[in-house]
Amino acid sequence: MRVANKSVYDAVKYNLGSIYEELNKANEIATTGKRINNLSDDPVGLTQSLNIRSTLSSIEQMGRNISHGNSWLTASESALTNVQNIISDTKALCVQMASGTTGSDQRASAAESVQNMLDEIVSLANTDVAGNYIFAGSKTDTIPFGQNGTYIGDNNPFTIKISQNSTFEIGSDGQAVFGTVFNTLVDLKAALQGNDVSGIQDAMDKLDTHFDDISGKISDVGSKMNRMEIKDRIYQDLNFSNTERLSKIEDADIAEAIMNVKAAELTYQAALASSSKVMTLTLVDYLK
Amino acid sequence: MSGIGMVLNIATSALNAQQYGLGVTAQNIANVNTEGYSRQNPVLVAEQPLLYEGLLLGRGVNTEQVSRSSDQFIENKLMQEKSNMSSSSEMEKYMQVLEGFFNENSGTSISTMVSDFWNGWYDISNNPSGPSERISLYEQSLLLSEQFNSLETDLIQIDTDLTGAVTSGIETINKITHEIAQVNGQIVSMEANNVANDLRDKRNTLLSELNEYLDVQAFEQSDGSLTVVAARGCTLVQGNSDYELEMGGPNGDRVTWQSSNGSYVDITNYLTNGKLGGWLDIRDEIIAKNQLDLDALAKEFIWSVNQQHSQGVGLEGFSSVTGEYAVTNPGSAITSSGLSYQDKVDDNNKTFKIWLFDADGDPYDSDTGTTGLQGNPITITVTSGMTTNDLVTAINNETGVQASIDSQYRLNISIDTLEIASLGSLAFSDDDSNVLAAFGINTFFTGSSSGNMGVNDTIGLNKNFIAAAQVGSDGTMASGDNNNALAITDLQSTSMSISQWTCDRINGNTQGSITSTIEDYYHSMVGAIGITSASVSRDRSFAEMMVNELSTIRDSISAVSLDEEMTNLIKFQHAYAAAAKLIGVSDEMLNTLLELK
Repeated sequence: MRVANKSVYDAVKYNLGSIYEELNKANEIATTGKRINNLSDDPVGLTQSLNIRSTLSSIEQMGRNISHGNSWLTASESALTNVQNIISDTKALCVQMASGTTGSDQRASAAESVQNMLDEIVSLANTDVAGNYIFAGSKTDTIPFGQNGTYIGDNNPFTIKISQNSTFEIGSDGQAVFGTVFNTLVDLKAALQGNDVSGIQDAMDKLDTHFDDISGKISDVGSKMNRMEIKDRIYQDLNFSNTERLSKIEDADIAEAIMNVKAAELTYQAALASSSKVMTLTLVDYLK
Repeated sequence: MSGIGMVLNIATSALNAQQYGLGVTAQNIANVNTEGYSRQNPVLVAEQPLLYEGLLLGRGVNTEQVSRSSDQFIENKLMQEKSNMSSSSEMEKYMQVLEGFFNENSGTSISTMVSDFWNGWYDISNNPSGPSERISLYEQSLLLSEQFNSLETDLIQIDTDLTGAVTSGIETINKITHEIAQVNGQIVSMEANNVANDLRDKRNTLLSELNEYLDVQAFEQSDGSLTVVAARGCTLVQGNSDYELEMGGPNGDRVTWQSSNGSYVDITNYLTNGKLGGWLDIRDEIIAKNQLDLDALAKEFIWSVNQQHSQGVGLEGFSSVTGEYAVTNPGSAITSSGLSYQDKVDDNNKTFKIWLFDADGDPYDSDTGTTGLQGNPITITVTSGMTTNDLVTAINNETGVQASIDSQYRLNISIDTLEIASLGSLAFSDDDSNVLAAFGINTFFTGSSSGNMGVNDTIGLNKNFIAAAQVGSDGTMASGDNNNALAITDLQSTSMSISQWTCDRINGNTQGSITSTIEDYYHSMVGAIGITSASVSRDRSFAEMMVNELSTIRDSISAVSLDEEMTNLIKFQHAYAAAAKLIGVSDEMLNTLLELK
């Protein structure tokens, strides 16, 4: 085919242009470390990566929810364990006080300790996490238990989400948790003051039941914490696998990217060298 | 008479012809870089021989014409491909701008902001009475709304820019067609005698430039003039007259052509190629679709959040609350009252509840008329065809609550302390008629499209009105209640029916819908932009390759090769020298004769 001078220049321009474009693209991938730098680089991959990113954001949020829940459950566990210890101490006191060798004076002064124990249980039942009362149902901003344990919270335990579709109780209905513990102690105090041995024995039986009830609640909280921990581990795994998928979609294979840059560079140099030769060749140079 | 005179004559014709040849070569060399130039060749013909003494003797050489190496078929094909290329390269340019708007690699992307929005509700659900979570959700929502707004502004800006580009494109087109008409006139008058090579090249170049702006058909008439016709048979050039395109239509954004009878024909949708075609494709198909889809997404997003929000209650009730959406006519049925979300209202005997509280926030029992631990709500029934006025009357018929329509035709509901002095606030719940959300009462967002989306000022002024809780069935409000916040976080994974548009310049805009979550809808929207952009880039690079191929073919026929011209130069130079030699020889011969004594 007949080749005009213009064709030579045009071809040089077009070819150098497209090779340079390739070099630039390869360089962009190598320097950003990302395979997708514009929406059009891989629209399908991009849509996937957007979905993964929003999943990751949710997972992170669930992690925050779980750690929030954990702080409540830990506080519940420690409050309930303390309550259980106090109940156990109270029972030991009762055993002592129910004994025939104990005098009415000793019983009257024991009544004072019972009041202290009652106060302490009330204060434990009013445990809060960052100003939110955990045994108040959903009335988390009001002190749920008054003097001698009158309950003014409600019966809807505070609930959060630890997955997108399921809720999880982290607070408690204080009434359900403590039941009649307070009444028992008030009655015990009266019995001690009144030197009423059978009343003390009644209280001992009730305290046994309370001890078991609170044990039940503690193991309940424990099992919830276990579930949280399992969930948390699942989220960590999900986080890991999703981050890895995201990296597979978005990140460039650096070795490959650098090889591509090198290859494009080589092609470009070759094209420059041959172009500079071709462009100077004309008969004009040989005519005198 | 084969005399010396004859040799001199032949030599003279040869000198002329070779000189002419040199002239043509010079013209070719001069135009080696001229776009659209077709190389020229002198066509040399031996003169008619004469019969002389029974023998035929030549009479020299004549330059019959200067021909032009050009293949009109290839020229036309090249013009078409150039037209394609300018269309796709303009589209590519604008798609890159569009891609930038939806760039997801930055922290300010809508996608990240929507995730943050849902997470904000999760944070509130974890600590419903905490003020910092509420402030943070409000700020996030404000940013999200502003991002929607600015995306809309950006899209409108491209739309305006494109109309501007089309307008100036039309000016260029009119200038080119005017020139073609002039060249037509010159060609017709010149070609009475000769072929007007350079003018034809010029006309081809003009036609090629015209093709870069829009696709045209061109026919050569028998007198050598070119008739140029655009889409829908609109003649742009005929003979030495040209017919202009104009911007028209109600918004001045349509391309029109004035026909011979003076009426305007709208040819906008039929311009498919050239820069104009590319610009209009982007404007009327891609930008239009993304604007409509973004609006549809914002509309459904605003509604779903508002609908759930209006079911709840914040940390305090309202003493008076005014809706965000206005009716155009309070006397017509709510379902056709002009509310932005009128079609969401269900007036088939659906109800909503209004709860009353005293100044301490204790519930008021509407049945017994007492304040205490338990409350009883007022139930409003939305009956079929109920008007806004009817609704106001129905609320006013109840004790302790009053309704009115303000000067901007918005609904206001407030406690009526004239009827019950002890009242302090009211709250809403269980609205299955969607009336409250449709009037924008106790809602979170305002607006109904991407451009006018915002956060309710009521919430902006007092974050306690963010409704994380729901009024309990006993009429109490608990600060630690997070039921409504949890219900709003459910929306993140809820699939809803969202409009999706198809924009086609010939068939118009058609509304369809898909069922999707808010985030998935946006993600696929962004993905679709990427796909379109990638395919436009592929088209551009294919068209560029085609243009390159065809240019090479065209140039192999028409463009100048310096090597050839240098060869011709020497060829004509030697022939010229030889002819000069002939004259010298004849001269000597004549001298020889004259010297005879």
